[in-house]
Parts: sequence; C-alpha cells; structure tokens
Amino acid sequence: MSETQKLLERQAGWQKGRAALTWSEKIRMAEAVRESVAQLRRARLLRLRSAPLKPSTTVLRKLENRK
Amino acid sequence: MKEVAELLNAMCSAGVIREYALFGAIAQMRYTEPVATPDTEVLVAVPDPQRLDLLKPSYEYCAARGYQPEDETVRIGAWPVQFVPFFNPLAEEALERAEIDNFEGVAFRVVRADHLAAIALSSGRAKDYARILGLLESGSVTREQIARLAARHGLADAWTRFQARFLNE
Repeated sequence: MSETQKLLERQAGWQKGRAALTWSEKIRMAEAVRESVAQLRRARLLRLRSAPLKPSTTVLRKLENRK
Repeated sequence: MKEVAELLNAMCSAGVIREYALFGAIAQMRYTEPVATPDTEVLVAVPDPQRLDLLKPSYEYCAARGYQPEDETVRIGAWPVQFVPFFNPLAEEALERAEIDNFEGVAFRVVRADHLAAIALSSGRAKDYARILGLLESGSVTREQIARLAARHGLADAWTRFQARFLNE
C-alpha cells in the first residue's frame, strides 16, 4: 500500500469516526468551527478597512492606454 | 443549540408558530459528519399563513425574550437562527413528517433524511449535491427513497440528472 493510500485511509477513518459522534457533539464541533471562521472574517474585514485602496492592475492598464 | 430547541418548543406552545422542524446543515449533521455552517435554518408553519408579515409574531416573541434580530436571523445563544416559512409542498411535507429527536434532554423536531435529500435536490447548488452524497453514504437514506420523493414532487428529471452525474459508477 502506498503512502498516499495509507493517508487517504487514515483520513476516511477519521471522517467515519466523526460521523459516529452524537448529534450534539457534532453541533458543538460545528459551533467551534463557526466561531473560528467568524474571527477570521472579522480580522480580514479589519485588514481590508485599514489598508489604503489601490486601483487594480486592469484599471491601471486601461488608464495608461487612454494616455 | 439546546436554547434554540427550548425556544422553538415554547413558540409552538404559545401558538406563535404552528409547527417547526430543523433543516439545512444542522439537521444534516444528525446523519453525517459535522459540517461548517454559519447559521441554523428552521422550517416553520405559522397559524395565519395569509398575513403579509408572516414572521412578525415570531420576531416579536423572540425580541420580548431578549433574542434580537441579526440581519435575516435571530441570535439565539451562540447561533443565528433563520426562520423559513415552508415554501413549497415538499417543504410542507418535510415539516409535517419531521422526526422528534432528544437533544440534551429537550425534544427537537428535525426534518428526515429523505426530505433533506429531496430539498437539497430541489435547490441544486454544488453544496446541496454534496449533502445528498453525504446522506447516501451515511446510509440514512436510499436512492429508492429519494427517487420516490422526487417523483412525487416534480423532481424526477433532476434526480435522473443527479444520478447520471454522480452515481453512475
């Protein structure tokens, strides 16, 4: 069995294990993931808001072509 | 989520909604592995389906108990909850035939796996197709059960296309 096959089998086993959890355990996992994703989104929004707006390369090219 | 179950049961007892059933990703997780989802979707039947502002009494009931609206959802504990009045005969059937699960000691109505699959088939987005495959793989629903529901609800062609695309080995 190749390393890739072993890796895929381990992953499949892990996923099956998660499917066997109780419904409330799965919901708690989803809740934790949701919070992490929300934090990442908030951080990304903050970064975007604080970064100065730059025109895209496409817009710059169009402007240069007009000259 | 227990808080959501308790509130929905209380809304039923108070007559604010006639019936409810959890659907979407949270209901899916009852049968499959956990999936990431931003909110909780709840199918609801209201006592007066003719009124224009169908969900106003629900929002008012929630607000009076400190659960505030957040975009198109209501924040209940950790979860934004979206109330969705049933939107077609399939969703109505899913709501009527939902099962009652015991969620940490609280009764919680959940849409059955076959109806979840059929609703996903009718939505037809990539993530919905992934949901159907997940439900089939979990053994919570069979191809025959989906085919029967699809035939009854005008989704036979969609089911044929789905099978040709994803299930023909």
